Amino acid sequence: METINHNSVLASGRYKDLSLDNTNSDLALQLYSFMVRLRRCEEALAAEYHPADEMRCPVHFCIGQEAAPAALSALLHHDDYLFSHHRSHGYYLAKSAPMAEMFAEIYGKNTGANGGKAGSQDISYPSEQFYSGAILAGAVAIAVGAGLGLQLRQLPHVAVAGFGESATDEGIFWESVNYAGLRKLPVVFVCENNKYSVFSPQSKRQAGDSLCQRVATFGVKSNTIFGNDVQKVHQSLSTAIADARNGDGPSFIELVTYRWSAHYGPDSDDSVGYRPAEEIANWKSNCPILLLESALLNTGTLTARLKLDIEARADREIASAFQFAKTSKPPDLSSWYAMNFSEHSPMADKFLVDVDWGEFDANQDSILQKGY
Amino acid sequence: MLARATALSYSQAINQGLVQAMEMDASVLLMGQLVDYKPGVFNTTSGLVEKFGRNRVLDFPVAEGAMTSAAIGAAITGMRPVLVHHRLDFMLYSLDAITNWLSLWRFKSDNKSNLPVVIRAIVGKGWGQGPQHSKSLHAWFSHLPGVKVAIPATAFDAKGLLLESIFGEDPVIIIEHRSLFDFTNPVPEIPYRVRFGSACVRKNGSDVTLVAMGYMVPIALRAAAKLKREGIDVEVVDPRTLAPLDRDTICTSVLKTGRLVVADPGWRSFGAAAEIITSVVEVVGNKLHSAPVRITLPDSHTPMSMALEDHYYPSEADFCDAVAKAFYSK
Repeated sequence: METINHNSVLASGRYKDLSLDNTNSDLALQLYSFMVRLRRCEEALAAEYHPADEMRCPVHFCIGQEAAPAALSALLHHDDYLFSHHRSHGYYLAKSAPMAEMFAEIYGKNTGANGGKAGSQDISYPSEQFYSGAILAGAVAIAVGAGLGLQLRQLPHVAVAGFGESATDEGIFWESVNYAGLRKLPVVFVCENNKYSVFSPQSKRQAGDSLCQRVATFGVKSNTIFGNDVQKVHQSLSTAIADARNGDGPSFIELVTYRWSAHYGPDSDDSVGYRPAEEIANWKSNCPILLLESALLNTGTLTARLKLDIEARADREIASAFQFAKTSKPPDLSSWYAMNFSEHSPMADKFLVDVDWGEFDANQDSILQKGY
Repeated sequence: MLARATALSYSQAINQGLVQAMEMDASVLLMGQLVDYKPGVFNTTSGLVEKFGRNRVLDFPVAEGAMTSAAIGAAITGMRPVLVHHRLDFMLYSLDAITNWLSLWRFKSDNKSNLPVVIRAIVGKGWGQGPQHSKSLHAWFSHLPGVKVAIPATAFDAKGLLLESIFGEDPVIIIEHRSLFDFTNPVPEIPYRVRFGSACVRKNGSDVTLVAMGYMVPIALRAAAKLKREGIDVEVVDPRTLAPLDRDTICTSVLKTGRLVVADPGWRSFGAAAEIITSVVEVVGNKLHSAPVRITLPDSHTPMSMALEDHYYPSEADFCDAVAKAFYSK
């Protein structure tokens, strides 16, 4: 099997292998619509970021990386868990969390998904089992814990961790893979390898270049695929998720992909000079949406009219999300304590009685423990 | 409420609390290295694996960060994990999980998700434990919003605070001083709770308030008994939990005595003693008859040699001297 990595993608130029032969047209259109919706959502947020200056939090746009969230949106059920990195918007929408509450969260409003406490990089939507965080390797380990909980409770759901290849620099990533492999947990590791940790390429940070081989030594099924072929991404994740659901243990899927935007914010960071122009151009020619779109147009599944409808539907939703966010109120300050702690403990009330004895005989010989 | 009690050691009381919690609710889960072996983490987990099996009593790889994160993930799915570390020092591998995830999970979800995770952190003392087996970092963890911190001194409190933590809705770190594990105390057989933020006046007195925590509570009580014979009537207050801290009970005591000594089994600077003294000074500072005094460890790591340990850990005589200083100065 030929090895796919960033060098091979750059050497191959325009990708020609996206095939819809084994994909039904409804699914293909669903994936396409999701990616268009996500792309336009990100472009609209980026366009509005500076002029209005009302989004006062770090936003990490995922333009160019739409395929993984699109595939997950078609595969995950309500009861499945999804833990995302800070480039979170696609994953948030993949779990069917509402776009309007995401916009309101980025605007820091009380109607935001988290009442304006989290912002873009820490957003969660617990009722849909969606969580994210900026210290991202930690979230991979938490996904493994969710997998443990599901296994112990014998539930047929899965826990998916979405992260970048930089998370695999951290030791806890390997602790997590080890534990998932050891207990055959229902976990799917989705590694979006976009080559860079901010500016620093993987080759500058990691000894050896095959994450997939390293993960495989832990007894975790692993596979590297071209991450902008959404059909392949869907197929690969579909197998991994089905395996996890059926008790066949964890999988690691590495998706070779690319972030078009800057590490964060709407402005380009290419003046830093960390990535060559031809690399960016090659990846733009391999846009996950365009690759699928040309296949859909070829098969006649997508027409110019339908394309416009899909785009218009996304734009209406985006306009309404902006309206919701901008007209919502900022959060009120209630109590700092109540933001951080519970005010009730119903389980303790149910199981425990209050007894309070203060007496204590202090005149006991303190035994010095010898050794350990 | 009256309850039947038996004399149990501190470690037996923890064991009984764990057994009862696991019997009452199937979501309670115990995780830690070697929890399913005969010695049972100083007998606190003995017998549990026989009763509840390996799916509820989980030995874990030597990966504390992953273990704490696994507990967080399991809690998200509805479990109530209890973690145990043979020594708090090993737990420091999980500082990212505790600080960046566990403590702020409720906050950043806007109260839509919470993590009832309990971490038992055992602190060694004596017999050459040295600098990597003896750190009682109660002040560090109490500094962090979103985590409750308990420091039980008696078998009674060890069980009651453990049960309250397991069936509460917030993350809790319980600092357990190993040197207390063999102390016995009447412990009710029923499952009961000791509330957070509720200090215990261990001995009434009128001359000096001595606030002591963890293994310093029995030393404080012995010093108080000795001082009583010398004509100084000490009130001993055990806060039992540091986050939240029962400032009211401490201030009420100081209003009565006008003098304050704090015994803190942590380093001197920026510690729990400093916080307690400040809290008192802020509220009733103008009623103090003398400057507050603190009894702490020096600002140094713990030495192995017993000759140096004797200087490192404050003795009963040091307690008496500190109280006398507060009592006799104006």
